[in-house]
Amino acid sequence: MKSRAHFWILISAGLWVSCATYYQSNQAFNQEFEQGNLSNALSTLQADGREAKGKREFLYYVNNGLILSLMGKYDESNEYFEKAFLFGEDYRKNYLNEAASYLTNPMITTYKGEDHEHLMLLYYKAVNFLKMGRSEEALVECRRLNIRLQQFSDRYENENKFQRDAFIHVLMGIIYDHDKDYNNAFIAYRNAWEIYETDYERLFRTHAPEQLKLDLLRTATLSGLTEEFNSYKEKFNLPDYEYRSRDTGELIFFWHNGLSPIKTEWGINFVIDRRGDMVYFYNQELGISFPFSLQGYDDREKNSLNNLEFFRVALPRYLERPQYYHQGNLILPDTTYSLNLLEDVNQIAFKSLQQRMHLELSKALLRVALKKAVEHQIKQEDRTLGSVLGMINVITEKADTRNWQTLPHSIYYARVALPAGQTEVTLELTGPGSDVHRHQFTYQVAPGQVLFHTFSSLESRYVNFGY
Amino acid sequence: MMRPTWVLALLLLVSCARTVNRIDPAQQIDLSGRWNDSDSRLVAEKMTTDLLSNARFQEYAQQLGKKPVIIVGQIRNRTSEHIDANAFIKKLEVALFNSGRADIVESSTFRDKLREERAQQQDFADPETVAQWGKETGANLMLFGEMTSETDVYNNQRVVNYLTTLFLTDMETNKRIWYGQQEIKKQIKN
Repeated sequence: MKSRAHFWILISAGLWVSCATYYQSNQAFNQEFEQGNLSNALSTLQADGREAKGKREFLYYVNNGLILSLMGKYDESNEYFEKAFLFGEDYRKNYLNEAASYLTNPMITTYKGEDHEHLMLLYYKAVNFLKMGRSEEALVECRRLNIRLQQFSDRYENENKFQRDAFIHVLMGIIYDHDKDYNNAFIAYRNAWEIYETDYERLFRTHAPEQLKLDLLRTATLSGLTEEFNSYKEKFNLPDYEYRSRDTGELIFFWHNGLSPIKTEWGINFVIDRRGDMVYFYNQELGISFPFSLQGYDDREKNSLNNLEFFRVALPRYLERPQYYHQGNLILPDTTYSLNLLEDVNQIAFKSLQQRMHLELSKALLRVALKKAVEHQIKQEDRTLGSVLGMINVITEKADTRNWQTLPHSIYYARVALPAGQTEVTLELTGPGSDVHRHQFTYQVAPGQVLFHTFSSLESRYVNFGY
Repeated sequence: MMRPTWVLALLLLVSCARTVNRIDPAQQIDLSGRWNDSDSRLVAEKMTTDLLSNARFQEYAQQLGKKPVIIVGQIRNRTSEHIDANAFIKKLEVALFNSGRADIVESSTFRDKLREERAQQQDFADPETVAQWGKETGANLMLFGEMTSETDVYNNQRVVNYLTTLFLTDMETNKRIWYGQQEIKKQIKN
């Protein structure tokens, strides 16, 4: 019996990991990235080759892809994003790790990526292709996005859950639009509009961008969808709108503002309340109670669970990195375009975690219950070993704090008409206390040509990490 | 109920290998309820049978005194799904071509490529093998189409009715000489 006890202790000790969160364990990389020192951040990231094939393989690929994209190395960036995409396609649960995670913590499983992260990587990939003028390949990403969106919406049936991504529909519209497939562009824009109106306003208080109205009307005209055109013109209260073909070029400008939230950990203390063959895990402060049936367990096991008077369960939570800039404008010699909010990545991350918190909590409770049950069984055979295991259980109890942390907080965009030839454009970003930062760009465009540009401002306001 | 340690042991033993099978393309498999390959095949089969047996199309060919030449125009998608009409249009084209009842000429995408290549030949190809300008075959008929869908949703149920209509229009007179229509209605329960 002692050998079995040793086995559990060795397993647990072997799987013991540091108590730092994912963000803290990558301090050097995060600091370099947040300061905009991209080449150093990339070197730090790539220095640890184990990450490329380890349990954080997905994060390694997407972080590489994102940084290389910021550095303008679009081909290399897309190689990493493709690896991340294939990882998502081929991902299969490793049941050995899953089982082991119930004796330690979920950080030892392979990180599979959040739903919105799998969509975002295709966004970056598609835009990289568009910047390189490879629209056919951007269309492939567009089709992949469509499949991902369908998988995503099929997963959740409840309309109060985040299950439809309006931003991705706008992106699909932009890609089809660029390919002059106005019919599909119209469908994508229309779907996006409907999602902004129904889901985004309710869930995130995010309204449809003004630009989307104009894109819907334009593509309806260009696809010959007269009834739809008239109906939207009336709905948008734009009675004078008329599409006019112009001999200009266009600029699609994406502004990535700030940084997405990071995951940290919090704990809930539970007490045990046993009634008959049921055990209730109960937290008075939060008013939550989880029943656990003891039917089928033998008396010794029932006693083991009955003896768990008090324990702590670690759960993940998001911590916002608030945006520094609250407004962005593109200033041309004769016009100013305000950058419209397309996607609040921060809120989407919070919502995604919130809607599966029940599952997270159930898994965490099962994990702690299993650890405790094993601990009590061993204690009955060898009190010292049982106590050591109890200590290890406390140390190893932690939440999964991994997420894609180099994503922006929010994404804004504008579609700008550029006269043929060279144009100077100023990006004006406004922060707290009217702190204005300006960036100058020069664009050379031919009539009918569409340019794509992404600008990332990595600044965030003060973050209370609470450590 | 199983002991906790047994649950873990079971988890450790569970392993699933990915399986891939090649199956008959004609087999109907519906997963999500959205438009899929089976719908495209139904439309292609219905339209092909309709067109090849259509009396007005045959009468048109007789009056023309030669095989009608068809060019594929726009298939307008008014549904809320991104449906690739090429999936059934290409099948229709192949059936039409193989039947020998009509000729098909390139539509704009490939035609522009051909013209580009022909222009290059003028400068770089052996004069005896150069493709001549002004010898393209003009189409007599243009194929148009439209897809619409109506969706009714209640609780966990969804009913979608897809209506696909194709028509051939005379290039000179704007008269429609053939209509084909296929309706597919699906009830999806989640």
